[in-house]
Order: sequence, then C-alpha cells, then structure tokens
Amino acid sequence: MSLPDLAVVSPAELVEPLRAVVVWLLRVTTVPVLAYFVLINTSYLVLIGLGALDFRTHLRARRTEVATLGGELTPGVSLIVPAHNEEAGIVTSVTALLSLRYPGHEVVVVDDGSTDATFERLRQAFDLVEIPREVPQDIPVRARILGLFVPRDGHTRLVVVRKENSGRSEASNTGVNAATEPLVAMIDADSILDPDALLRVAKPFADDPTRVVATGGTVRPVNGCRVIAGRVVGVDMPRRWLPRIQVVEYLRAFLVGRSGWSRFRGLILISGAFGLYRRDTFVEAGGLDPDSIGEDFELVLRMHKMLREAGVDYRVEFVPEPVSWTEVPSTLRVLRSQRRRWHRGLWETLWTYRGMVLRPRYGRVGMVALPYYWLFELAAPLLELYGILTLPVALLLGVVNVPFAVLFLALAYGYAILVTLAAMAMEEWAFHRHERWRDLGTTLLSSVLENIGYRQLTVWWRLEGWWASLRGRKQVWGVMTRTGFNEEAS
Amino acid sequence: MAVSMQEGIRVLVADDDPDIRELVEFKLAQAGYAVTAVPDGAAAWAAFESDPPALAVLDVMMPGLSGFDVLRKIRESDSPRVPVLMLSAKSRDSDVDTGFAIGAADYVIKPFSPRELLHRVNTMLARTR
Amino acid sequence: MIAGSLLLAATDGVGLGCGALAALACLTRVGRRRRLTRRRRLLAPHRADLIAVSAGEDSEGASLRALATAPRRAQAALAENVTGMLGKVRGLPAEQLVDLLREHDALDRARADLGHRSRVRRARATQLLGLSRDSSAVEALLPALDDRSPEVRASAAYALGLIGDPRAAGPLLRATGSPGGGLPAGLAAEALLGMGVGISDALGQGLRDPDPRARTVAAHLCGAGSFTRPRPILRELLAGDPDLTVRETCAVALGRIGRTEDAEALARHTEAEHPLPLRRVCAAALGELADPTAAPTLAALLHDPDPRLAELAAAALVRFGPAGRHALDAADHRGPVRSALTLARLQGALP
Repeated sequence: MSLPDLAVVSPAELVEPLRAVVVWLLRVTTVPVLAYFVLINTSYLVLIGLGALDFRTHLRARRTEVATLGGELTPGVSLIVPAHNEEAGIVTSVTALLSLRYPGHEVVVVDDGSTDATFERLRQAFDLVEIPREVPQDIPVRARILGLFVPRDGHTRLVVVRKENSGRSEASNTGVNAATEPLVAMIDADSILDPDALLRVAKPFADDPTRVVATGGTVRPVNGCRVIAGRVVGVDMPRRWLPRIQVVEYLRAFLVGRSGWSRFRGLILISGAFGLYRRDTFVEAGGLDPDSIGEDFELVLRMHKMLREAGVDYRVEFVPEPVSWTEVPSTLRVLRSQRRRWHRGLWETLWTYRGMVLRPRYGRVGMVALPYYWLFELAAPLLELYGILTLPVALLLGVVNVPFAVLFLALAYGYAILVTLAAMAMEEWAFHRHERWRDLGTTLLSSVLENIGYRQLTVWWRLEGWWASLRGRKQVWGVMTRTGFNEEAS
Repeated sequence: MAVSMQEGIRVLVADDDPDIRELVEFKLAQAGYAVTAVPDGAAAWAAFESDPPALAVLDVMMPGLSGFDVLRKIRESDSPRVPVLMLSAKSRDSDVDTGFAIGAADYVIKPFSPRELLHRVNTMLARTR
Repeated sequence: MIAGSLLLAATDGVGLGCGALAALACLTRVGRRRRLTRRRRLLAPHRADLIAVSAGEDSEGASLRALATAPRRAQAALAENVTGMLGKVRGLPAEQLVDLLREHDALDRARADLGHRSRVRRARATQLLGLSRDSSAVEALLPALDDRSPEVRASAAYALGLIGDPRAAGPLLRATGSPGGGLPAGLAAEALLGMGVGISDALGQGLRDPDPRARTVAAHLCGAGSFTRPRPILRELLAGDPDLTVRETCAVALGRIGRTEDAEALARHTEAEHPLPLRRVCAAALGELADPTAAPTLAALLHDPDPRLAELAAAALVRFGPAGRHALDAADHRGPVRSALTLARLQGALP
C-alpha cells in the first residue's frame, strides 16, 4: 500500500485483521491451556489423595502409638544457626534451642560477620570464652574463621563460631564443619521450635538408622501466635490479611505437597526453615552451594543424585506435625522480594539438574517429581499470566461469552480453594491447634481472598524473579527487620 | 498410711495428661496438701507467679512451655528456691542431667509408684524446713 | 456446546467439593468435641474410683469393687482408660488394675482381638497384653511381630519388651530387618533392653542378620546392655561390614565394653585408609575404653591433618590419666591439643 492509501485506512478496518489474529490465537491455545489447568488440578487432587493416605497411616499410628520418642538409637543432633545481625532475638533463640528436649544435642551458632551486637550479646549471656579449636574443612569454606567460643562452665553445649561475612550458605557449611553430632539441622535464627520438635523430626532416623538420610518438618507462620520465652504457647491467626493468607499457603504447601510427595517417595523439597540431615551425607554431597539461591532445595537434589548414582538404598522422610514456626513477611515489599528469590532459586536449581529429568536411573525423583516441578511449579505462573491476560481480551473481542468466562474463572480458582480446603480438613482432623471457631472462619475466608489479588501478585513476582535470573542480574537478599521474641505477642 | 507434715501446704502440679494430673492431685490432696493442678506450662507459670507454692511437681513433656522451661523460669524468679520434682517418661540420662543442671530437686520416672511420689514430696518439703 | 456444559459440570463438581470439605472440617471439629464429651460422660461415674485405685488410695478395696461391677457399656471405654493408666503407674496400683482387667474379661478379649480385622484393635490388644505383664501371652504375641501392619508390629515389640521374656529376642531381631517392613530400630532396641541377660546368643545371631538394621540393633545392644561375649563378631563387623552405620555402631559398642584386643581393633581403624567418619568414631571410642595400650596410636593421631580427629585423640588421652597427660605434653602444642586441654580445664577434668 502506498503512503497516501495508508492514511485513509479507518480504525475499524485495522481492528478486523487484529481480531482475526487474536481469535485464531485463542482458538489454538485454549485447548492446551485448558488441558494444563485440568492436569495441574488433577495433580493437586492426586497429591491430596496421597497426602490423605499418608495422613491416615500417620493418624492410625498415633492412635496406637507407643511412647518411643527420644529412646534408644536416637542419634545426637547439632543445631546449626547461621546468624547475621540478629542481636534483637539471638539470646532468646539460643536459650530456647539449648533447652529443647533431646538426648544429646548441641547448638552451633555461626556469626556470619555481624556488624551489630549479636556476638556481644551471646558472649555476655553465656559467658563465652575463646578456645583454640581448629574447625575442620570437611566442606571447603572460603571465608576465614575468626574464632571459636564456648561457655566458660564447660558443659553447656553451645559453640559460637565467628567468621568473615560470606552469606548464609557458607555460614551453614561452617556450622556443619564445627558440628560434632551425627545429625545436623539448619535453623534460622528467628525460627521457633516446639520443645519436642527435634524428637519428632529425628524419629525416622531412630526407626531406620541405616537408610534415612534426611527428614523435613512442617513449618508454620508464627505471626499472631502467643510466644513466651521462645516457645509458642498459643496458636492464633495473624491480625493482618497478608500473613493470614500465607498461613493458608503454608498449610496447603506442607500438608498436601510434602505429605503427598513423601508417601510417593519423591520428596525433594525440604523447607529452608527446618530440615535434618545425616552429617556424613551432607558433607559427602558437598554442603550447601554458596553460589546457588536454591539452597536447601539444591542440596537435596544433589543428595538424591549422588545417592541414586551410587545405587544406595536410602530414604528421605517427612514429619507432618508442626515442628517449626517462622515469621512470614507482613509487608508487600518483603513478600515480593521473597517470592522473587524463591522462584529464581527454583528455576536455577531445576536448570542445574535438568540432566536428571526423565532418566529412569533417578527413579521417582527424576521420572515424576522433577518433571512435575518443571511443569506445575516453574511454568505455572507463566500459564496463569497468559490466562489472566487473554481472558479479558477474549471477552472484549467477543470470542468467549461472559458465562463461559465466569465459569472458567470459577473452575480455575475454585480448584485452588478445593485444595486449600482439603488441607484445612486434614489439619482439623489431625492437629487441631487452632482453638477458636473464629480462626477456622478466618482461614476459610483467607483461602477465598487469596485468589483475589494475592495470587495474581505472586504470579507477577515469580515471573520477575525468573526474568531477573535469565537476564543474569545479581541476586540481592532482602532484609527482614527483626523485632525479637520476648514476653509480648509478636 | 498417707502422712503429711502439716495441713494445707500448697503444691502446684502441672501435667498435660489428665490421668496423671488427677492422680497426683488426688494422692497429694488425700495427704492433706492444698493442690493446684494445671494442664500446661503456661498455666503453671501463671499460677506460680501469682501465688508461689511450697513445692511444684512438673511433667517434663508439655506442649508450649515444657517442664524445663517452667523450671528455668522458677529459678530466675523471686522465689527461686521452691523445690521442684520433675516427672519424666523415660530414664533418659540427658533428661535427668538437664533437670538437675537447671535445678530440679528430684526426679520421678514414669511409670511411677504413687506411694513413692508422695514419699518424695514429703521428704523434699521436710528438707526445706 | 459440549465444552461449555463440561465446564459447567466441572465447576459444579468443584463447588460441591469445596462445600463438602468445608463441611468436613467443621464436622470433624464438632465430631471430635462430641466424641470427647460422650466418652467423658460414660466414664464420669467411674473416674473417681479409677483415680483412687491408681493412686493407691483404695485401702479397703471399695473403689476396686465398684469398678469391677461397672456396667458392660462402660467396660470397653474403661478398659482403654485402664490400659493407659498401666503405662503410667507401677507397684500395687498396677497389679490391682491388671486384676480389674481380668475381672472384665478384657485380657481374654485382647487375646481374641489379636486376630481381628482392624489393625487398631490388633495393636491395642497387643499393647494391653504387654502392659498386663502376662508372660503366658508371649507365644501369642510372637506372630504379631510379622503382622502386615506396622503399628501392630511396633506394638508387639513394645509388649514383648514390657513382658521381658528373653525367648522373644531372636524373633524380635529377625523381625527388625524383615524385608516385609521390619520394626523401628529404636523400639526394638528398647524392647531388647528389657529382656535381661539371657539374650546374648540371640544378639550374636542378630549380628549376622542379612539386614543392616538388625545388625545395628544387635551391635547397639551389646554396648548398651554390656554383652561381652559377641565381641569377636563386633570386631569382625567393624572391619568388614558393608554398611558404615553398622561399623560405627560396633565401634561405639566396643568402646563401652571392650578390652585390650578390642582396643587394638579400634586403633587399627583410626588409620588413614578408613573413612574419616569411622576414624573419628573409633578415636572417640578409644577414649571411652581408656585402655593404655592405645596410647601410642592416639599420640600419633595428635599430628593428623584432620583437626577434629587430632582433638578427639587428645580428648581421649586426657581420660587416660597420667600416661595420657604425659603423651600430650610430649606432643607439640598445636591447635587441637591446646583446644582439648583448654576444654578439659573448663570442664574440671584437669586442674
């Protein structure tokens, strides 16, 4: 067309070919997208089913349980606490950890080059003195160790290692190097453990000392709970809606996700806030990778790879009781940074271990769990974004009618609510830690609200994280201001 | 057969297991003690704070604040010398060590003899006189 | 159109599912509270008597008689409550409670329940027989070690441990490593500890079991229960067992009960050709054993490149008394030696 001809083309004439293109696009993609939603939700239902079966077994075991927590063959545990500028709550936290019920545990705090009074507070509270102990380099650590301290009384089982700042992973590795017990757990300085948490999460090791290499415990948000002396004494829902929705998220992720996968023997994700490992396996796998954002996820995959390649018979178990409580972001800014980081870590780790996907040698992890994570965890926000964008466009262009669109939305989000409700039903059935009817109602409402705005935000943030990784931008760790735990509710 | 040194001495009993709680409460009450029985650590601490007893019987394994947590708080309180008897489910050396390290006066292991428990309570109270 | 009606149907399904689950969550809470209240109401008239008997305050037997004549309706719930009590009290009250169960035919019913369809019933029956400390029940309980349900197997192990008859040791160890599922190792170990000194032969056989779990339990028991006869087998497993956990457990056991020849075996396994975790465990075990013939090996380890191993050797030598102190003074005071000495001083083991 010549230039003068272009000038006389009307807007209506432009819209028509555009409309045709969009209609064609929608017609071509509708079926695959619909199929994707059906698949992902069916998978959720399958996981619910497996989780429910696992639950049934677990509950039956509890009804006929014989008291064996902390009995013979319970291995000792070293609790590794990487800490950077945690002066507000470090002493309360360490005191609470030292007083956990366990036959033989120690606490190893790694002061990762804190610039505040973290070490000074510890020194005063526990009367620390330096000892000339050399920390072995079972896992090679780049940063220099500045000193190792123990309480002067000589029998409080606390070790504080000071090192140059080099990040949480290296701090954890240093802690494992300094650890003396056969099991190691990494604990955030602001996480709270139930007094019997260690006993529960170590039980699988006592039951099967030759095969179990790692166990994961359930993590719950502590926001809104009553905390006294570093212990959760009352479980209440948080007062603000953002943490409330996260309570629902955690519930769903742990009860449905972990339970289901554990039963299926494909458990690959152990939460960053609580995982217990055999020290020798941890070391043999090489410890946490300081350059990876995937942290524990990456390590567990590495362990799976190593053990399967060696042909070893091993187990990774999941403990469904709530054992650890952690503060979740209560502002959008911090939440956003967290979700970007998580999805970025997911992407980078999955990409690193892409060689395991669909290889029979890696068993259920390679054949089922990893492909699942690729399709339904990694790609999910992409597909959801597509759905969010195209549905209004399709409506506008008259490709779909309003009832269809409404139904589609109801189905897509209704399934999400279904999964959440299943998790809530299981929680009520098994743990009933929420005391009040009002909390049940709040949780229900939160699970609905989650789909109106919150979910869409996380879709965007996850994609942001993914994009940042693809563009090679350096990861910056967000800082969460700690208020510390004391006698008041947090 | 049940003997108490003096009527109305206040004893605090904390155990989340109602069987043990009611049993110990009954046994000590029959012996003449004024017993306050609570089902968890937080309640135990609240009861102790508001009205310190002459002796406390604490179960080690309780949800929320454990027996050790309450014991520690007692030792750091204004009435730190109140004798504390710990009830534990196992003869775990570590439990016993921990308990004595924090300052428990004595230990009773489950399954326990109620008669022996009473005897120990009497002895502990006689010692503090 | 078909897609539309499918969509509608699916959405309805999801909606119904949501409603059902929400109702389930609520109903579960209501149901649980109702169940608890109902049980409490059923047991309420007998609670005071039960407490009186359990506390040993029933000197005239009035409460026991009242419980014996409890209506049949309450007996099942009462039996459960009594079983719970038996795990918590001992002495005369426990004996009286067992008599009560016998009065109610609860023990006979438990024996019959051993073959029940429901695994919960089987497991509870097993536990009850164990708590009643009835040694005539051992024969009936042994097959339960191979039950298809893990809860029943665990309950059987627990019960046999309570009864404490050493005849059960062999079957227990075999069941621990059974390919059909096995037993929780810690539970098996606890049960074996309750069986006294007659299990030495069973432990020797357990050490030869094809499953590493059973071997671990047997090795652990040798140390925990001071069984010295199987020491040659422990040495053998330390040297050549394919499973590292078994080897480490043997080392720990030898550290507790070993003599000079065992100290030699442990010393051999601190050498560089062995895996580092095993070397460290052996060094610590030598400290536990405190046999003076190991002093030269430990002294040599003081210069090992692995600081943890060196410090363990130093800490072991501290426990050797004057001979060990001498060896420590002779070594040059690098980090590990100084560290062990400092720690020993803090702990009061040294002046």
